[in-house]
Amino acid sequence: MWDSIYYFVMVPMVYIAFGTLFGGILFKFIVVLRSPKIKGTLAVFPRGPVPKLGALRDSFFIPDAFRKDKVFWFFIIAFHAAFLLLIIGHLELVREFALFQIIPHYVFLGAGWVGVVLIASTLYFLFRRFKSPWREISVPEDYIILLLLFLAFIFGSHMNLASRYGIAGFDIPVQSYREYLSSFFTSTPHVSRGIIASPHYVIVVLHVFFANLFLMLFPFSKMVHSVFMFAAQFIKRK
Amino acid sequence: MDNEKRKELIGLMKTRLTRPMRYYLDLCTRCGLCYDTCHVFYGIPKKEYSPVGRAEVVRRIFKKYLRPSGKLFPFWGDSKEIDDHSMDELLDAAFSCTACRRCMVHCPFAIDTPFLLGIAKSLLIGNESAPDELSILADGAVEKGKSIDEFKDGFREVIKDLEKEVAVKLGGVPPEGLIPMDKAGADILFVGLSGAHSIVHPAVILNSAGANWTLSWFEAVNFGAFLGDPRKMDFIANRIINEAKALGVKEVVIVECGTAYRIPKYLMGPQPFKVSSIVEVIHRFLSEGKIKLNEKTITDPVTYHDPCQLGRNGGVYEEPREILSALAADFRDMTPNRKYNWCCGGGGGLVALDNEEFRIKSGKAKYDQIVATGAKIVVSACENCIFQLDTIKAGYSMDVEMKSLTELVAENLA
Ligand code: HEM
Ligand code: SF4
Ligand code: SF4
Repeated sequence: MWDSIYYFVMVPMVYIAFGTLFGGILFKFIVVLRSPKIKGTLAVFPRGPVPKLGALRDSFFIPDAFRKDKVFWFFIIAFHAAFLLLIIGHLELVREFALFQIIPHYVFLGAGWVGVVLIASTLYFLFRRFKSPWREISVPEDYIILLLLFLAFIFGSHMNLASRYGIAGFDIPVQSYREYLSSFFTSTPHVSRGIIASPHYVIVVLHVFFANLFLMLFPFSKMVHSVFMFAAQFIKRK
Repeated sequence: MDNEKRKELIGLMKTRLTRPMRYYLDLCTRCGLCYDTCHVFYGIPKKEYSPVGRAEVVRRIFKKYLRPSGKLFPFWGDSKEIDDHSMDELLDAAFSCTACRRCMVHCPFAIDTPFLLGIAKSLLIGNESAPDELSILADGAVEKGKSIDEFKDGFREVIKDLEKEVAVKLGGVPPEGLIPMDKAGADILFVGLSGAHSIVHPAVILNSAGANWTLSWFEAVNFGAFLGDPRKMDFIANRIINEAKALGVKEVVIVECGTAYRIPKYLMGPQPFKVSSIVEVIHRFLSEGKIKLNEKTITDPVTYHDPCQLGRNGGVYEEPREILSALAADFRDMTPNRKYNWCCGGGGGLVALDNEEFRIKSGKAKYDQIVATGAKIVVSACENCIFQLDTIKAGYSMDVEMKSLTELVAENLA
């Protein structure tokens, strides 16, 4: 029975998760595009010389957070930069991309550190919410998302570190991950032998399970800030 | 509350779901950066008066009825039912917010809290629990728009008296025609308020500058906007817009009233005329040499309070400062100012409600700011603000004078 549960998490659920992620974001976009525009402008002044660039700057560098809380700002920037590297890293686990090798590295870019930074900042975000006033304004969604991320990061980091330092028997070679992940784009998706044979398999399954859950919740949670932030920042200057 | 009513209210909520509203409903990560940026929270530190605290009251109800995830998993986002208790929460959230949008400039996602509270106001209107004072004032303005001809004769009589006042202030010129009305082809349509001073001082300045102007039949203030009823807001604003179009004026000049300026300027879409604040017009007259001031005649320290709707939400920051720097020998800015200025607590129609004690408490931030400047004269360019500043003055027994910029200019014309 465990075999089929593992298989479900590793293959069908991954399709479901990405389907929900992209379908959900598409749905969100449709809802927004079908909602009426307003006739005036909601701008705040000064709008800045180039509103679109200003909106991008406010989105990527988050000066509003920097002004008020430097520690929080540091963790936001650290978290998001690491998350970007994480996405790149996972693409590299599908196949080699010459583009990312501009900075020559062994798979994947920033590995090891990425996990540590993500775990530290997720814990910071989580513990912050145990205190007032964040405690009072938080809703279960806020904790659940951070918890899912924490779990996915912990298992992910463990997999990475294990293979880096060749912890006896636990290291799964990059080739095995590539065989598994690239098979999603073929007609025969499967978990590679190298992964199944490892005593580490259960860790991989847990990592994929929590990541799947996160991806499925993404479009239906505050995570849509990653998509809509630019629009809202632009409204402020339009 | 019965189910029929609830359905009606959900319907009303749907009418508010514009694009920006969708973003603001989805975006908040409850990061808390806005938590202490509201002047009401500064004076009364309760979660309910933090911007995110207010917005969440709306979001939770929205999730419960109009978002699939909230319907299926109410615990996920703490969804809330529409009932008498939540209506009370909405009332407290919406009608204690002055719509100053100070929270918006501190939010990493630029969430416009008062825009979001528009949902709360719609629900309250639907439930007939919005403040009566605002409903009555808004209905009165709508009624006046529908039957203006009946008001005209009475208004002309009042204006005749005001013309005499203007004549005295202009040094005893003949009063006839000093406040022109219904003048087709005038360059400027000036829109005042119900108080005599809101017409007399601008009339002194406009006449001194030799402007080709005419006075509007209507008051600039928009109680439809304060009430949060978009149809009434549009109707009230359109009274003036249609008047301006019929007279063929080039510019509509709004008296010292922030909201009355922002609505035709930024919230009604493009118009065939320019919309200016009287402050911008005074500044223009000065730089064109059409009027002159007795420079540096005010020796007491002077500070300026940025009305939120004129400054942060209207973009008029420098003109009043330049005028004041010319008039006063010792002009001092408050800290923070301009975009980050603290609201005085009078906006959003709150000064029309019976809530003086609340407004004194929520004016604490402004009080502290004024004291820190050491100024003896506080100038502002919004009728609401001045009224509230006077409330703060009385509430904290302050030894300062609250002054309107237009009045100060009219008194100090060279
Ligand atoms: C896949 C992409 C993204 C993920 C997974 C993600 C995830 C997160 C998480 C977990 C938090 C912390 C929430 C908390 O404190 O509980 C957060 C906060 C934030 N994110 Fe993102 N984010 C993404 C993309 C973006 C993008 C593209 C931007 C803007 C360019 C952005 C801007 C912010 C800001 C300003 C915050 C601060 C507010 C806060 O911490 O609550 N994020 N993000
Ligand atoms: S600053 Fe913006 S995102 Fe953060 S809690 Fe306030 S409204 Fe929400
Ligand atoms: S708009 Fe002003 S009054 Fe309203 S919540 Fe924001 S800071 Fe407070």
